[in-house]
Amino acid sequence: MQRRQLLQLSALGALPASMGLFQSAFAQTSGPIQFGCPVPMSGAFAANGKYADLGMKLAIEQYGTALKRPLAYTLLDTEGKPATAVRKVQESAQQQGARFFAGGILSSEALAMGKEAEKAGGIFITTAGADEITGSDCNAATFRWSVPTFGAIEQTVRPLIELMPKAKRWYTITPQYVFGDGLLSAAKNIFKEKGIEHVGNSYHSLAEKEFSGYITNAIAAKPDVLLLLNFGGQCADTLRQAVSFGLNKNMTILVAWASGLEQFESLGADLCEGIYFGAQYWHTVDSVLNRDLVKRTNDSFKANPNYSLAGSYICTKLLIDGIIKAGSADQKAVIAALEGMKYQGLTGEEEVRKADHQVLKNYYLLKAKAKAKMKNKDDYVDVLSSGKSFLPIDQTGCKKA
Amino acid sequence: MKNNTHFLLALTVVLLMPAFMQSGSLASEVLIFGLAAMGCNLLLGFTGLLSFGQGVFFGLGSYTIALTLTRWPLPMPLALLLAIAMGALGAAVVGWVAIRQKGTYFVMLTLAFAQMFYFIAYTATGITGGDNGLLDIPRPSIVVLGQTLWSLTSPWQFYGFVAAVFLLAFWLLQKVSRSTFGRTLLAVRDNEERAGAIGYNLKLLKLQAFVISGAVTGLAGALHAMMTGIAPLSNAEYHTSEMILVMTVIGGTGNLFASVLGSAFYVLMADWLSSLWPRWLLLLGLVLMAVSLWMQRGLWGLGDSVWRRLRSKLETKHE
Amino acid sequence: MNIYLLQVVNGVGIGMLYFLLAVGLSIVFGLLRFVNFAHGAFYLLGAYFCYQMMQWDTSFWLALVLVPLAVGAIGWLTEKLMLRHVYDTAHEFHIVITVGLALVVQELVILQWGPLGTNVAVPDVLQGVVMWGSFIYPKYRLFVIGFTAVLAVLLWWVLEGTRLGSAVRAGSESTEMVSLLGINVFRIFSLVFALGAATAALAGVLAAPIRGAEPFMGIEALGVAFVVVVVGGMGSFGGALLGGLLIGVVQSVMSTLWPEGARLMIYIAMAAVLLLRPNGLLGRKE
Repeated sequence: MQRRQLLQLSALGALPASMGLFQSAFAQTSGPIQFGCPVPMSGAFAANGKYADLGMKLAIEQYGTALKRPLAYTLLDTEGKPATAVRKVQESAQQQGARFFAGGILSSEALAMGKEAEKAGGIFITTAGADEITGSDCNAATFRWSVPTFGAIEQTVRPLIELMPKAKRWYTITPQYVFGDGLLSAAKNIFKEKGIEHVGNSYHSLAEKEFSGYITNAIAAKPDVLLLLNFGGQCADTLRQAVSFGLNKNMTILVAWASGLEQFESLGADLCEGIYFGAQYWHTVDSVLNRDLVKRTNDSFKANPNYSLAGSYICTKLLIDGIIKAGSADQKAVIAALEGMKYQGLTGEEEVRKADHQVLKNYYLLKAKAKAKMKNKDDYVDVLSSGKSFLPIDQTGCKKA
Repeated sequence: MKNNTHFLLALTVVLLMPAFMQSGSLASEVLIFGLAAMGCNLLLGFTGLLSFGQGVFFGLGSYTIALTLTRWPLPMPLALLLAIAMGALGAAVVGWVAIRQKGTYFVMLTLAFAQMFYFIAYTATGITGGDNGLLDIPRPSIVVLGQTLWSLTSPWQFYGFVAAVFLLAFWLLQKVSRSTFGRTLLAVRDNEERAGAIGYNLKLLKLQAFVISGAVTGLAGALHAMMTGIAPLSNAEYHTSEMILVMTVIGGTGNLFASVLGSAFYVLMADWLSSLWPRWLLLLGLVLMAVSLWMQRGLWGLGDSVWRRLRSKLETKHE
Repeated sequence: MNIYLLQVVNGVGIGMLYFLLAVGLSIVFGLLRFVNFAHGAFYLLGAYFCYQMMQWDTSFWLALVLVPLAVGAIGWLTEKLMLRHVYDTAHEFHIVITVGLALVVQELVILQWGPLGTNVAVPDVLQGVVMWGSFIYPKYRLFVIGFTAVLAVLLWWVLEGTRLGSAVRAGSESTEMVSLLGINVFRIFSLVFALGAATAALAGVLAAPIRGAEPFMGIEALGVAFVVVVVGGMGSFGGALLGGLLIGVVQSVMSTLWPEGARLMIYIAMAAVLLLRPNGLLGRKE
């Protein structure tokens, strides 16, 4: 047996084209199960990437092995660029036989990687926000844990309207691209339904850092609520500048798509006080898995898990659980095992919807509290409400073969 | 004999990579950016024009091949030619406007164009897909008379195709650079006033250089889009222009093969370092500073000095 | 109050900061014929040094004085030890060495303070807004306008009224002449470069309470600085002021007229000026 393998290997040394195929067949039956963590480690989103790496690390170390094979992962720095992301996924699939990828912070890179994973015979699970990931660009190999725009708006705008029935005038600030438009149209639908007056909208580009002009627009429109539909650094800039204009004193501010703990850390409690935030995850959510994750993260890193870490953790965990459930690391078997899987997740009971591979989970409405009321250094918010809102399959635009 | 050395060097690189590298995609990336760096070098090293606009042509090539392979399907060779043409056209436009200025103002104009193109690509979502970019770009096999000659599905198969295109482009560019046209460009770079005084049409020459540069860069963009299956917005970003320029300078502006050295160095280093340390850009920055201070002839110059020293040592040994 | 009037006032606020950001770049180019792609890195350092000083409980006002001095010193050292050696080389090495330097500074900042941005608090005395009818404007931004106006006058006085300033202005015309007159040209180069770095850092300190401090702010700042310098005229102090105000006002007014195009307009303006008045609005003919 050994001699034959040796001969096969040396023969194949002269045929680089087929090396990849042989490796993958070889790797799938024994040897470590290889994971990839394609996230930005350099460039503007390096902060998210850093925590995503830790999340996958925790999950891999927690399990150690699956199906009697050791688990291993490689960190792939996408630099926040879709082309680099695709190339590194390609490389990782070829060189290490990696088939399971959890990552993709930016929508543009996630969309591209989902397609590449399908081509490479692997599975890609992401926390990126673009609707198309489980919508018009869905495919058999792509799964998504985070709640897309429809749910994010339903679970923030709607409850806030209930909380503040007299607030009839809303102003929106929206990043001008597909994701922003997704949030905006979902919001506009609710406005129409609830008789809210949409007093104005300011679009801005993804490169923008100066929001005083848009804030001035907002002030002139005299709204009751300012709805911010941007995210990440731009959201932080808008919020900081809005507070400097005193908007938090004149009107209610709602951030539909907050980044979570790291955002509050970088802005500070004083700035965030009284502002409403929508979030995919919060570390005080009372579920068995979350309590466990909080404990693990505190033990390993002396800090509470933030969204980037938690998201990466659960995505990796889902993949591992899928492999175990399928009893094999074969792509089709694991996909079949994941589809329809119901489990106790970080936000309580979660389910992987079969038709579009979207995980059905809670989205949270948070309200930031005053610094004086914080019980510990991470106690920035009260969780006001949560729920699951997802578009029915026929409206998502997903036509999986 | 000397005429063929550089081409042989290029051929060696092309043949060596599959033997030493495991990733076909990485190898293709080296050649693709080698093309882009050569295009940049034609402007910088040969004509003395420092262009920050290469990302525009790269992006145009990517978008064109995406549209001609998905939305308005054309056979692949034709689509590739169209991408080259669009790169050339874009370069003609940018060049025609930019060469009205000289020196730093020229550089600033190309920078302004690069930014404008980025924002236009960002806004025209119908054509470019905006921030998402264009997806699902296929890699059609080469079919002649109904027979599939060459399937491009696996990364190494695609590499073979890229290598063939690269060698052809290299050979053509060599011919251009060694032609009268090429030598005239060098004259323009060395002393523009004198060249103008002799009677050369400076504007036309520079424009021609731009067009060729744009064509090669557009080709690179198209191949890149086919390799990754996407035409992302980031191809048109300022960072892409900067990266191409950096590769050209690191390689050395003296000749075309130097640009291949530069792209190989950058692509392989970035890939290797980024797997070691998230702060790998720090090392890149240090390399750039070192090259500017001590290695102005780039990697090629380094190799050349080492070669010369070796040769003189060997010669003294013979005596 | 008419919204466009509001946007113009806001634009002046943004513009004054842009002027401060760009003036150093412009003067350095005017004298050294050197395009400094690391200019944004000095702005970045200004913001982060300010943040660090406030973490050490020093007052913002002290930071406003000390940080530009510190970064100015760094600029002086950089010019003397490194950049001086590439003056005689081709264009591209000026650019490549400063691009490299910018990358190194950016990554060092991340190593020291992490990749996540932070807030810098507005000094207590300047918190809150000024209200005038329906006009609301943060006190801090008004302070920035006033402070940079005073600084502009100071800089103008230095350039027009002092011997150093005369040497700089003469040097912009001809460094040969200046050295023939017995003035140590190299020392002036270092001083001017230090001044450029210091003004960029000052802009960073002033911007930090508005924009926070984050490692990639240098890249955006550099882009804006280039536009302002090109529009105003490279080497021209008045041009940096006019260019800064113009770009700031255009950006602000566009936020109402054509919000998504606000950024694009800036680069269109840059290209237009380069084509129609290539030396900038107030630049001199080469």
